[in-house]
Parts: sequence; C-alpha cells; structure tokens
Amino acid sequence: MMQTVHLDNVSKRFRLGASNEYGRITEAIAGAFKRWVAPDPSLAHAGNGVPNSQIRNGWFWALDGLQLEVQQGEILGIVGKNGAGKSTLLKLLARIITPTTGRVGVRGRVGSLLEVGTGFHPELTGRENVYLNGSILGMSRRDIKARFDRIVDFAEIGPFLDTPVKRYSSGMAVRLAFSVAAYLEPDVLIVDEVLAVGDQAFQQKCILKAKELGEQGRTVLLVSHNLASVANLCTRAVYLREGRLILDSSPSTVIEEYLRSSVGVSGIKRWEQDDAPKSSRLRVREVSVQSSSDSDEAGGEMDIDRPIRIAVAFEVLEDNAIVTSSLRLKDESAVNILWSTNATSMCQRPDPLYGKPLSKGLYQTACTLPSNFLNDSRYFISIALGEKPGDAEIELDSVLSFVVHDTGAMRKEYAGNWSGPIIRPRLDWYSQPMECPPSA
Amino acid sequence: MSSEPIPPPLRYYGAGDPLGLEQIGEVWQRRELLFRFFQRDLLIRYRQVVVGILWVLVQPLLGALIFMGLFFVLGTKASGSNAAYPNVVLIGMLCWQLVSNSLRDATGSLVNYRHVVTKIYFPRLLLPLAGLMCAVFDFLVGCTLLIPTLYLTGASVQWSTVWLCIPIIAWMILFCIGCIAWLSSLNAMYRDVGYALPFALQLGMFVSPVVYDLERVSTSLGPHWQMLYEANPIASCISSLRWAILGTQPPSGLGLITSLLITAVLLFSGLAWFRVADRQLADRI
Repeated sequence: MMQTVHLDNVSKRFRLGASNEYGRITEAIAGAFKRWVAPDPSLAHAGNGVPNSQIRNGWFWALDGLQLEVQQGEILGIVGKNGAGKSTLLKLLARIITPTTGRVGVRGRVGSLLEVGTGFHPELTGRENVYLNGSILGMSRRDIKARFDRIVDFAEIGPFLDTPVKRYSSGMAVRLAFSVAAYLEPDVLIVDEVLAVGDQAFQQKCILKAKELGEQGRTVLLVSHNLASVANLCTRAVYLREGRLILDSSPSTVIEEYLRSSVGVSGIKRWEQDDAPKSSRLRVREVSVQSSSDSDEAGGEMDIDRPIRIAVAFEVLEDNAIVTSSLRLKDESAVNILWSTNATSMCQRPDPLYGKPLSKGLYQTACTLPSNFLNDSRYFISIALGEKPGDAEIELDSVLSFVVHDTGAMRKEYAGNWSGPIIRPRLDWYSQPMECPPSA
Repeated sequence: MSSEPIPPPLRYYGAGDPLGLEQIGEVWQRRELLFRFFQRDLLIRYRQVVVGILWVLVQPLLGALIFMGLFFVLGTKASGSNAAYPNVVLIGMLCWQLVSNSLRDATGSLVNYRHVVTKIYFPRLLLPLAGLMCAVFDFLVGCTLLIPTLYLTGASVQWSTVWLCIPIIAWMILFCIGCIAWLSSLNAMYRDVGYALPFALQLGMFVSPVVYDLERVSTSLGPHWQMLYEANPIASCISSLRWAILGTQPPSGLGLITSLLITAVLLFSGLAWFRVADRQLADRI
C-alpha cells in the first residue's frame, strides 16, 4: 500500500469577528513579511490538544492537530456535524487554503469537486465552458479534446453545445458541469457532499462515479451527511468533531459512534403536573421514542436496522377507567403513514391492559415499530388517548419527531437513492427455476 | 496497482519558495489555463458587441484625436521635438492604455473570480496575468495603427533602432507584472486599492509623457528633476519607445538605470509578496 495523502499535525484557525481586525494595509504587509522570517508566537500552543474549546484568544480553530494518512485506492468517508471541520479539511487538501500549522502532502494529481461548474461563465457557450472548466479542474487541452464527445454525450445537451450557458436550463448547466468533472481522472479525488444536492438521478451519478474511481485504484475523499453512501462506498471513515479527529475506523464503526454521540433531537417529552395535557380522567406525563434494543436512553436518532419503541406514560385520575392508546405517524410532508392502537385485533400479541378497568395511578403503554421498516427520513409522532379505539380525549399532534438513519444494512448491493418511498420494509422475495415455460 | 513504473513523490504544499520563484514554474505548467482565462476574457469582452474587435483600435485612436484637437484649439505645442505630433501622441496613448488597462483589469481579477478562487486551486497569479495578456493583446492590435499614421505623416522611421522596441515593450510588461502582483493581491484583502486605482491612473497619465513628450518638459524640469521624472518606469519606457521609432530624445542614462532598478525591485518584491498573500487569499478575499 502506498500512502497518497498525509496530513501532519494540521491545524487551521480563523479570526473571529470583523475582517478589519487585520488592521492597516502597511501592518498587514509588514506582518506577513515578519512571519515569513519568524513563526508567529501565538501558534506556539497549536495542536497540542488543549482539550477545552475551539475558541482561544479570539481565534476559532476549525481544525486542531489533525493527523491522517490515506493509502492509495482507499475511499475515505469523512463524517461529522456541521462545523466539525469537514469542509475546512477538504479545502486544505484541495490546496485552496493553507494550514495554520502542520503540513499537507499529496501524491499525484489532485482533483477537487467542492462545487459543480466552478468557473462556468454564462456568456460562454457550452463548448467553450467545457474547455474552460476542464482547464480549471486541471485537465490539459488534449485530455479534454479526447474526452469531449463523451462529456457532451454524458451531459445530453447535444444541440445546445454552441449556445451560451446563460440560455441553458439550470438542469442542463449542472449536467454539463458534472460531466466535465466526471471525466477528470485525478490520482486523488476530493468530493464534497454539496455535489449530491441535485436531483435523484444526479446524486446517483455522483455516487456511482465515486465507486468507479475507487475501483480504478484512485484515492477518494468524500464528505457526506448521507451516512448510507459512506457506509456503502467507503472503505474507511473518520469522524470529526469540533475540529478534532475522534475516530478513524471502518465505516460501520464510525457511523455507529457518530450516531451514538451526536446529540440530535431529544427523543423525550415530559410534562410537569400542572401543564400536562389532560382530560377529566387522564393526564399525560411523558412521551418518548428510542431505539429499543440497547440503551434506556431516549434519543431522536434511530438506526434503520433497529426496532423503534414509542412509549406514552399517563396518569389515571379516577378508578375504573378504560384507556385505549393510539399512535399515528406522519412524514415530513404531514402525510399519514400509519395509525395503530392497542386494541387486541390490531396487535401482534394482546395488550394485557387493553379494555381492562384501571385503578388510579401511573401507567405506560409502548408500541414497537419493527426494524428495517421505515425509510431514512424524519417522522412525526402523534398520540391519542381515549376510551375506545378512535376516541381522542387527549390528542397530542406531532408531539415528537425522530430521524431514521440509513446505516447501510439494506444497502449492501444498492448505493443509489432511496428517497421518495415513505417506508422501506424488508419483504419476502423468492425466485425459483420453473419446470416448464409459463403457458400462454 | 499503478501502471506507472515510478509513482510521483508525496509533495507537501507550499513548502519553501520564499522568493516566489517556484510559482513561475507553476504558471508555466498551467499555461494552458492561462491561455484559457485569456481567451475567456477576450471572448466575454466582445460578446454582444457589434463593432467587436474594432473597439481595440477605436480607443487609442480616439484618445489621440482628442488630444490632437485639444492642443490645436489651445494653440500650444505639446511636443518639443521635430517628430509629428500624431506619432508622438499615438505611441504615448498606446503605451498608456497598456499600463492602465492591465492594471485596471488585473487589479479586480482575483476579486471578480472569488467564486473560483475559493473553490479550487490553481496558481492564482494566472488570473491577473490573464488580465495583463488582454491588455497586451489590445496593445499589439493597436500598434497596427502606427503603420498608416507613420506613413501619412511622412515620419522618418529609425530603422536601425526599431528592433529595440521589443525589449522596451518587454520591460514595460515586466513593470506591469510587478504592479499587478502587488495590486491584485492587495485588492483582494483591501478593496480600497480598487477605489484608489482610478485616481492613481489619472495622476499617472499626467506625470508620464503620454500626451506630451520628454523634450517639452526636460528644459523646464532641469537635470535633477528630470532624473526623478525618469525614475518613473512608464516615463522612461514611453520616451525610449519614441526614441527607438522616431529618433526623439532618449531618457538620460541615469534615469534609465534608476527606472530599470525600480522595475526589478517592483517585480521581485511583487512576486514574493504574491506568494505570501496567496497563502491567505481564500481566507481573506
């Protein structure tokens, strides 16, 4: 294995506040030449792992003492929340910005796709822009010429080739820009997830292209919020948090850790006695959602391959109350996905307290959604309590939301897009040879 | 598995190169992109323009005609030599437009292409250089105006020294490179530069022998002031060019050396500074 990317104790800081902190023009020039002679003393403690804050003495440390090596042919996924330093890392690798401390080394030609269509000019024709954009990306004229027909075919803009790009639809411009990038064949490719903001077909093209490059033995560094593509494309992943490298391991381990440690939406809603939603007989105290398998800790982030447990805790205020709980799930566009109650015929096994008169006290009803059932999206929970199924003495509409993350458990064979369907159940499939051809 | 027998070495970015000379090699490596930028600037300039490339000729010609008319109306002579004034002013205008166009285009180049500079790496010097190339292109096209003008005025061209035009123009271009290395990068950090430039250029036009010639001012300046006057590389360039073509008064030896030295200092400090500025450009642009 050959090392193709090396980050040696790399830090990057930005000045907080207004940019006029740099002072007068003369000071800036003098300061720059001074640093040229002697290092800046304020960097003395950079990267030695001061554990507390990213903000020190008016500087924001976007990256702090990063140590990373990438071998040839690896597809490295970089995960982390917004502001964790992912984009800064890519920009350092792409040489757009220089590290404050440390050094960045790369073997061979670097291609960076931090944006589609960098340098496209609206006044120029498609043909002229292909040459211009290709040159900016680092292709020689001969490279572009050799691939020109393939680029144009791929972009499907045929008759518009000699029309100024300003007359293109936005989709056409993006297609053309992407196909130029797709035929860039660098030794190290740096891709930002911003690429994946196009339509579905476009995202799919990006993902497949990255996979293809990895198979060709090129090194790919990919920043993504789409954990599914990290899980399926990458051979290795790193987890960045607050400018530091937290974990460097296999994609599945990194994703697991990322999901566990990222404090997402709270998965629990509690009420005090006074402001709790109530009726004459009932009072709701708590609604929670959690991944049912391991922890008892509620969180709004779910793995797609774990069951999800939704629970409601309520107080019965008078004796002999009969209580039926019902659950409704909605997706992000408020489409109802399911409605279910604990009535016996609607359950996999009878709820022992269903239809039973309850005495005063605290009760909990829980419903478990199977694993590999929902898609990777956000879902909203509505809860209703009443005497019979369909009653809504107390209705809590969209009281909690949770996010299901695609861990890649169902994506071993398919890296493409799955958005659109609301649910993604695992179903029973079976193929067999047939004895004789189907009769007409 | 790599098909190349020897893999390229692991290179660390921006290591060394304190004098900014390595970036010249980088510029050379990416000369195709330089040409692309130049081509783009050129194409964009004449899109949706009816007269097209003729604008390049109209600008110096109109400039020259205006000053010819002005001095005719005023009844004063702007030229102290025997050379015909149209030739004198046309050479001055062509040179001045080379300097002012290149400085103007190049100074804004990094800021105008901010969206490219912050998204991808290439030697940033390419952008101001492309602006300069456009100005040089205009200059060379504009020089064709000299042929009919020299012919019509019946000027006696100094054939033995005309070849010296080439090093003199090269000198002027090197001076422009020094200026734009400073100005474009400073403008990226301090937009004041862009605002101050038009005033500086206006001033520069009058402290350089653009619409008048050296003979006209040398007597009233006296030898000391003339040396200071000639320390301005533009003044020396224009005077030298006129001397090479028309055989008018050349700049003094001392003035020539001073202005050459100033050009060299400007060029090398400009390249070194650009290297320094380049490292913080994306952060501060």
